[in-house]
Amino acid sequence: MAPETLVLGVLVLAVTLYALLGGADFGAGVWELATGLRAGSKERALSYRAIGPVWEANHVWLIFLLVGLWTAFPPAFAALCRALWLPLFLALAGIVFRGAAYAFRSAAEGREQRQRWEAVFALASTLTPLFLGAAAGALARGDLGLAADGSFDGSTLTGWVSATAVFAGLFAVATCGYLAAVYLVREATLAGEDELAELWRRRALGAGVAMGALSWIGLAVVAFDADRLWAAFRARALPLVVLAGAGGVGSLAALARRRAGLAVAGAGLAVTAVIGGWAVAQHPLLVPPLTIEATKAPDVVLWTMVWFVAGGLVLLVPALGTLFWLFKTAPNRTPSEGR
Amino acid sequence: MLLASQLLPARLLMAFTLAAHIVLACLGVGLPVLLLLAEGRFLQTGDEGWRVLARRWARAFAVLFAVGAVSGTVLSFELGLLWPGFMERWGAVIGLPFTLEGFAFFVEAIFVGIYLYSWDRLPPRIHWWTGVPIAVSGAASAAFVMLVNAWMQTPQGFDLDAAGKVIDVRPLEAMLTPAAPTMSVHMLIGAYMVTGGLVASVYAFHRLRGRDTAHERRGMALGLLLLLPLAPLQAGVGHLTAEMVAEAQPTKLAAMKGQFVTERHAPLRLGGWPDVEARESRLAIEIPGMLSWMAHGDVNAEVEGLNDVPRDRWPPVVVTYEAFQVMVGLGTLLVVLAAGTAAWLVKRRALPTHRVYLGAVVTAGPMAVLALQAGWVLTEVGRQPWIVQGFMRTTEAVTTAEGTGVALVVAVVVYGVLGAGTTAVLTALARRPLTPAGEGTGGA
Repeated sequence: MAPETLVLGVLVLAVTLYALLGGADFGAGVWELATGLRAGSKERALSYRAIGPVWEANHVWLIFLLVGLWTAFPPAFAALCRALWLPLFLALAGIVFRGAAYAFRSAAEGREQRQRWEAVFALASTLTPLFLGAAAGALARGDLGLAADGSFDGSTLTGWVSATAVFAGLFAVATCGYLAAVYLVREATLAGEDELAELWRRRALGAGVAMGALSWIGLAVVAFDADRLWAAFRARALPLVVLAGAGGVGSLAALARRRAGLAVAGAGLAVTAVIGGWAVAQHPLLVPPLTIEATKAPDVVLWTMVWFVAGGLVLLVPALGTLFWLFKTAPNRTPSEGR
Repeated sequence: MLLASQLLPARLLMAFTLAAHIVLACLGVGLPVLLLLAEGRFLQTGDEGWRVLARRWARAFAVLFAVGAVSGTVLSFELGLLWPGFMERWGAVIGLPFTLEGFAFFVEAIFVGIYLYSWDRLPPRIHWWTGVPIAVSGAASAAFVMLVNAWMQTPQGFDLDAAGKVIDVRPLEAMLTPAAPTMSVHMLIGAYMVTGGLVASVYAFHRLRGRDTAHERRGMALGLLLLLPLAPLQAGVGHLTAEMVAEAQPTKLAAMKGQFVTERHAPLRLGGWPDVEARESRLAIEIPGMLSWMAHGDVNAEVEGLNDVPRDRWPPVVVTYEAFQVMVGLGTLLVVLAAGTAAWLVKRRALPTHRVYLGAVVTAGPMAVLALQAGWVLTEVGRQPWIVQGFMRTTEAVTTAEGTGVALVVAVVVYGVLGAGTTAVLTALARRPLTPAGEGTGGA
């Protein structure tokens, strides 16, 4: 198998894990914003407790993605940075404020201070997926003002204020909210917080239905706004679209029957399939019009990366497994965080 | 030139965000060691006071780790946003050590989560062991990142085609460059010294202000334990680093030592400043032959001077020279503090309690930080005009997108807020009354 394909697989996996794990973290903040920062203290406590031990680890996937891209496909990475620097910069601003707000909130003195940081956290948690999603949408659509040699001849707004990109940004925010809601049903159930479980269940059901509607709208937007993408979608990505739909519907059914674990699995499947569909439709373009073939690093670098990743996973999977086992499974659900 | 308009703000922005991050990174590397020492002492002696210390430090560590992760993310983005020319050409070469660093940081983040949130859930000994991967991967992370910078200083391990594109890479050779061993160790020791120094300074400050209980004494003692023994060691490693620079980066050496004329029996210069126009050093105390000896081990060895280097390849000489003077000067003061403390300890078997001594300790942390920053200024300004020595100039690497000036202003404001916020949070944490085992966990 060609090493660039293996590396690409790793990168798609990184995007997927970032969406499934980091996305839910963002989603917690999205809900805070969506509910006008009026969440009850028990509700907020559950959300922060759910994120607490895992949020640092969850956001390393993004760094991993950046490093992987610039190592394996350096000219594509450079082109991406030239063409989409503004949404990336704004997403970064969100990350900075979000991280700071989270850290400061936990040590804040008094209600007013804490609420201020919670507001910053909520806003920043919404802006980052918005701009990262827009960047992804711009990548998928193409027309970034890039020439085949990677030089950039567009404006600051080229590509990412298109209908596809804007929609992708909103879709990313909605996905974060959806994942967070579904996960929090499970968190609340495991913690024995039945009222909260009901609250999140209702929200997750609503979010799930909204995601379904958004998905249809999304297909329409792509069909009208992104010709190349639409053609690639129709040719190759249909099975994944179906899979995404099945995951989403399955998740809704599981929620209706109060099967929290299955709901998480279904939502995860849906999101994974959407990202997979994007990857399949995007191939062989990486940062349009630059292709995988034209931008890949020498084979020795690609293979070394593959081996580093394999070795790293040997270390990482047990460590990550321990983290999630300690804090996300039923027998260990005694909250031990103080203030 | 259009390129030049973005160069200065881009360099300033990178330098500013790096200077902020490096302090947080030092603490991220060093605090886990202090935590293990404190918690380890508790396990050995059963004295709750050590556990209280560890838990309080854990709360501070949680905040600093979170902010440090954020400032590190900024740097990852900046590499691409500010230096696309550099990343485009060399991304594949520097990416491999960065991949390793990514994994190390990932493991660190995971165990930080475990350590901070399971004080009351895991048996004490097991809890202590979950801190070990944090310390190990923190150090590994730092070393891997240093491999990247070392490569920029002494690049090797790749082949270029006629157009200058990288067509082959020898990963091991690219990671184990001449600069790698000395730079990595120098940085790691620096990180521990900064951490020990800042912690000791905080407690010395409390003690001078009247908060002088066993808690503050323990805290200061542990901080000094990490700082002082390493000061003379760092001087030794610094010397080895300078020898490496003399060998592999002679222009940088000439600038940092104010050596204009190529000569044997070259003197070591202390103080003063290099007059670039006149091409001579002014008002420096000169120790004859010392530079030749320190750089090459022989008093009669020839040291290359700036005069034999084309003018357009000179780094900013004054900045490089003064940065070196500051670093060595402060480092020497820390060695003096270490020697004085050691002499006192040998006779009295306890640390001094004089206000004068405490005052000196209060300055130790900031001195360590300043020495570290000066060292980085020296090494990064000293390699100009190169971003990859001998292969790519900084001007070729910088972005052409407008707006780096705005980004610089935004960054200064935002980091100002971050810095103020972090200080406020840490101060508030320090003001909380000490409680025995019921101290909250490090949850952030």
